[in-house]
Amino acid sequence: MANRKRLSNTQSSSQARKHPGSSMTQEDDDDVTFTQPSTSQVQRGLEKVTEAQVEQKTAEVVQYFLVKEQKKVPVRRADLVKHVLKEHRNIYPEILKRAARTLDQVFGLKLVEIDPKNHLYILINNLEPSDGASPINCPADPKRGLLFVILSVIFMKGGVVRENVIWNLLKKLRVDPGEKHEDFGDVKKVVTDEFVRQRYLEFVRIPHTEPVEHELRWGQRAEKEVSKTKILDVMGELHERDPQSWSQQYREAHSSQNSTQQPGSSSQR
Amino acid sequence: MNRARGGGDEEAPRQNGSAARRRGDPPLSDGDDAGSDFGSADLQDTDNDPSLRREIRSKYRDLISSVQQNREDMLSPTNNRLTEVLEEANKLFKDVKQAREAALDAQLLVVATDLGKEKATQLFSDGAAFDPAAFAEHLLSIMGINRLEDAEDEQQNGSDGYLPQDAWQRVARKTECCFKAAPSFHYMFGSFHAEPPPPKQRIERQRKAPSKEAKRIMPTQLKKMDESHQEATEKEVERILGYLKSYYQDDPTSPISYYEFVIDPNSFSRTVENIFHTSFLIRDGLARMYLDDDKLPCIAPVEEGEVEAGISSNRKQFILTISKKTWRELIDALDIKDTMIQPPNTQNE
Repeated sequence: MANRKRLSNTQSSSQARKHPGSSMTQEDDDDVTFTQPSTSQVQRGLEKVTEAQVEQKTAEVVQYFLVKEQKKVPVRRADLVKHVLKEHRNIYPEILKRAARTLDQVFGLKLVEIDPKNHLYILINNLEPSDGASPINCPADPKRGLLFVILSVIFMKGGVVRENVIWNLLKKLRVDPGEKHEDFGDVKKVVTDEFVRQRYLEFVRIPHTEPVEHELRWGQRAEKEVSKTKILDVMGELHERDPQSWSQQYREAHSSQNSTQQPGSSSQR
Repeated sequence: MNRARGGGDEEAPRQNGSAARRRGDPPLSDGDDAGSDFGSADLQDTDNDPSLRREIRSKYRDLISSVQQNREDMLSPTNNRLTEVLEEANKLFKDVKQAREAALDAQLLVVATDLGKEKATQLFSDGAAFDPAAFAEHLLSIMGINRLEDAEDEQQNGSDGYLPQDAWQRVARKTECCFKAAPSFHYMFGSFHAEPPPPKQRIERQRKAPSKEAKRIMPTQLKKMDESHQEATEKEVERILGYLKSYYQDDPTSPISYYEFVIDPNSFSRTVENIFHTSFLIRDGLARMYLDDDKLPCIAPVEEGEVEAGISSNRKQFILTISKKTWRELIDALDIKDTMIQPPNTQNE
């Protein structure tokens, strides 16, 4: 019943990863993708602690993730080990596995590793999105709107965009990076600093440009959290066109998103 | 060498100025090959002419800045501006003899090729063209823009119409479905603190206590004040009564002249005080005054038994006026040498 999360990929401590943390469901004890040493160490480690201790640590890890996710900043494995696990680092994989299971079963959140090299984790919503507007009647965060605009432009333009394209577009929407905006404050900072730290965007310097220019791409979190097909759907609605008419983007959306798409959610598959 | 390459120009190698200049242009001849060995600079006079060198460099710089500044313009697929710039540079390059100018030429090429690459990407991904401007227009209608009738209202962001307060929230709402974002975790009711109330109570009690004490202190002080006043007078009256009685007991038959009793030959003010205090005795019925055979007033204490009788009988009033002159006359007339009532300060108690 319970979906064993993609989590299982994230457990081996320092070994090279085979899958970049994307969706593969696995059986609990089938340590096929694990590298062996960590598992046996885990076994040994587990013998030395009581079940209560393991549960305690699991609960702490779950809380840590939930709180960190408020600000949408990814969790670093090193921080997790240092601040929460402390002396129990040897059973880290087991604890993380249990934490992921709790997050999924209790909160409906998926623990995803967005950066296999640096071991960064985020939580995304594991529940099937409802059709139409969300039933939660909380006021929408305007920054999400801004983020959508930027991500969709980047996507529609092939995945990379020069920063000026974004700034010009925003100006047309009455958002001037040079001025303080009512909803966003320092827009430039929100885009180039906050969204980058949250891993929604990447803001990279283009070499040899004078004055210095940057380009914007999707960040690691966006790759996992945002659905390209859905973006195309919204675009189709806005422009009153069939999403398939953007052939290249359509292909891109369906090829890379197959593994992370929610089953049965969108009409285009 | 990329001589024959058409549109798809990626990172052109930046070695020779001439090599990467082909962008579908007919191959240029002449000075190109000569330019490929700019390492060996000619040292002839014409080549070293400083003003010519400066001119070339300045033209290169102009070209570079024009590319940088008109970037959007050059990117547009509708014109050939970029090509023109390159042709211009080609012409300049014929005169390049020294390393400095060649370096500028190389810099121009870097800038131009970047642009070229971007133009190429535009071509590539615009198989299904996406126009940000149209996108912006559609977004504005989602946001609920109000286009004003008056074009005069230019202060609103320079273009017509203004956005409602919740414009961006509308966009967010509409596009929520694209995100699988985890909802932020917050405790439902938050934690509560039990601390604030106790300090308040303590403060109130403390305030009340001092005020009561303060009040208590006040009355006691006041009583003392009043008493001292009254006491002084009463004591004085008592004292004078004592004097009167003792004088009377010394010689009950001999009447005590009133004037002799009250007058203090040494002090007029003391005399007045004595008169004042003696009047209390008479008022209270503790002494009586009468006129003797010479029609002079005399004073005598009232016997114990007579007190009540004296009060019930008709009261008479006696008003006495005294001035300093009268006082001296009385002293002389009655030959008063010494005061019968001693001043209180001189007494030993």
